Amino acid sequence: MPKRKLDPLPSAAFQILLSLAEEDLHGYAIMRQVEEQTGGRMRLGPGTLYGSIQSLLEEKFIEEIDLGDDIKTGQERRRYYRLTASGRRLARAEAERLADLLRVARAKKILRGDYV
Amino acid sequence: MSEKIYALLLRLFPVRFRKVYAEEALQLFRDRSRDEKGFFPGLRLWFDLLADLAVSIPREYRHAEPSLVGASALHPMDGIPEFQLLETESPRPGTLFSGTILSLATFAAVSILIVHGGSSRPAPFWNSQAGHPNSARSTTSRTSSRQRSGNDQEKIMTPDGPTRDISSIETGDVQAGSVQSKHASAPDKAGLDQSSLVHAERPKPIDAAERKRVIDAAASNLKQYYFDRDVAQKAAEALKAHEASGDENAATDGEALAALLTGQMREVSHDTHLVMEYSRATLREHRSEPTAGELARYRTTLKDNNCFFEKVETLPHNIGYLKLNSFPDISECHATATASMAALNHADAIIFDLRDNTGGSPSMVSLIASYLFDHPEYMFNPRETPSQNSWTRSPVPGNRLADKPVYVLTSGSTWSGAEQFSYDLKMLKRATLVGETTRGGAHAGVFHRIDDHFGMGIPEAKIVNPFGNADWEGTGVEPDVKVKAGDALATAERLAANKLTRK
Repeated sequence: MPKRKLDPLPSAAFQILLSLAEEDLHGYAIMRQVEEQTGGRMRLGPGTLYGSIQSLLEEKFIEEIDLGDDIKTGQERRRYYRLTASGRRLARAEAERLADLLRVARAKKILRGDYV
Repeated sequence: MSEKIYALLLRLFPVRFRKVYAEEALQLFRDRSRDEKGFFPGLRLWFDLLADLAVSIPREYRHAEPSLVGASALHPMDGIPEFQLLETESPRPGTLFSGTILSLATFAAVSILIVHGGSSRPAPFWNSQAGHPNSARSTTSRTSSRQRSGNDQEKIMTPDGPTRDISSIETGDVQAGSVQSKHASAPDKAGLDQSSLVHAERPKPIDAAERKRVIDAAASNLKQYYFDRDVAQKAAEALKAHEASGDENAATDGEALAALLTGQMREVSHDTHLVMEYSRATLREHRSEPTAGELARYRTTLKDNNCFFEKVETLPHNIGYLKLNSFPDISECHATATASMAALNHADAIIFDLRDNTGGSPSMVSLIASYLFDHPEYMFNPRETPSQNSWTRSPVPGNRLADKPVYVLTSGSTWSGAEQFSYDLKMLKRATLVGETTRGGAHAGVFHRIDDHFGMGIPEAKIVNPFGNADWEGTGVEPDVKVKAGDALATAERLAANKLTRK
């Protein structure tokens, strides 16, 4: 049943996968990263953010990592998340799906330009 | 407080989600409210949160994994069909209560947004009217020697008070021919005029006797009140000379006569605050206090226009942008001013857009300038003898703008109090002025009623300029970077961005 949550992949979940592509981040940093990579168009609220994280964790597309208390001096202990190999594959598949879509759009002259 | 409200709202989520993520969600809320301080960012934060709750709560319930109840109690046997119960979480009373709060909060947020969405439209009158006043009546006064000052639709500023335009407050629909007036002893805090309009009338033709009466009164008022005796004498003589040669005979209505006399006085004095006004409505005699109704209308005008703080924004490169169309009285607008400056506190540079600002209260000029210095600074004001209010209240606690680059956008309409702000910051080398030379009105005029329809503004004091002899009277304030007013914002943004990236 939960599988349906990520099929089709919601754009919030896709953005989270992308945000984790280069480094491990905690929730707030993911939110900021997504805001940045969408030019401020998408600001994930806590419910959407953690709802998506939960689904991605369940499907093992991301994993939680414990950095320990030493980094954050105890008071602000945060959970960091890391992209798994299957998460990376999923993001790649989604990107390719979008690229296909883009090619169709160009073929139908909705969008101009030669390459994706 | 707001964190508690959010914690309460989080209770709306299914237990399973809450157990794992409530603390994380709260942490995220804390992070965002730490980074997004100020009124508008705060409003946006709450809008985001509520929209997020509205979307994600139903989704979490839809996807909440039903748990099997009683499955362990059964002993399933091969081949025999069996039933299992799926427990669906039914809302608890606490959840319903939180739901009510959420609905109310959403309703409130939407209401606030509707109200603030409306405030971004340009000011409907008063400043916009006074800022672009080159309407019907000003054509005659262009006969005066200087084009820029050839406009008698001016606001008159008292030595102790802000610019006021009582006609717009009084009637709510200012006509080109209506008058702004101000009596000498009006208290600053009232923020209103004393002589005011009773009712509008059609312009009456002026006969020779009335012309003579007005000219005589103007000449004697000049000699009695104008700060420079020599200039006053010359201006009075000029009025008499024009009268003797019959120059005013062509002026058959009050507005034309007022414009003509204004032109004649300015030709000699070169003082844009020296003005003859004609009011179609009857000018009331001296009254000590504005009525409650006038005060209420004045406050409504300010409130409807967000005290003329038209835009408070953060531009790319973390440049703060404030479009201010007046410097309203701090007695009404102190809170708006401090909130707007606080909302820009994070900025790395700041742009004040005064292109549509036609002046206002020197106290507001000092208040806003307070954020730009780390020590009290004297804000020279040619309308006012130095007082405690002439110094900025710097440093402002918690303020981080004191050492940030400042840009002021100016246009040919920038006038009076807005010129004071621009001029002082320029002379103190605290700001870079970008745009056009300003309109050039420095001296204060105190209003003197002549009769039911005529009155004149006369500067009664000349204040020493610490930066040299000439202020911006008649000449305007020269920008540091001269560009068309329409290009000023883009230019200032580029200058600021260059400066910030060089650092």
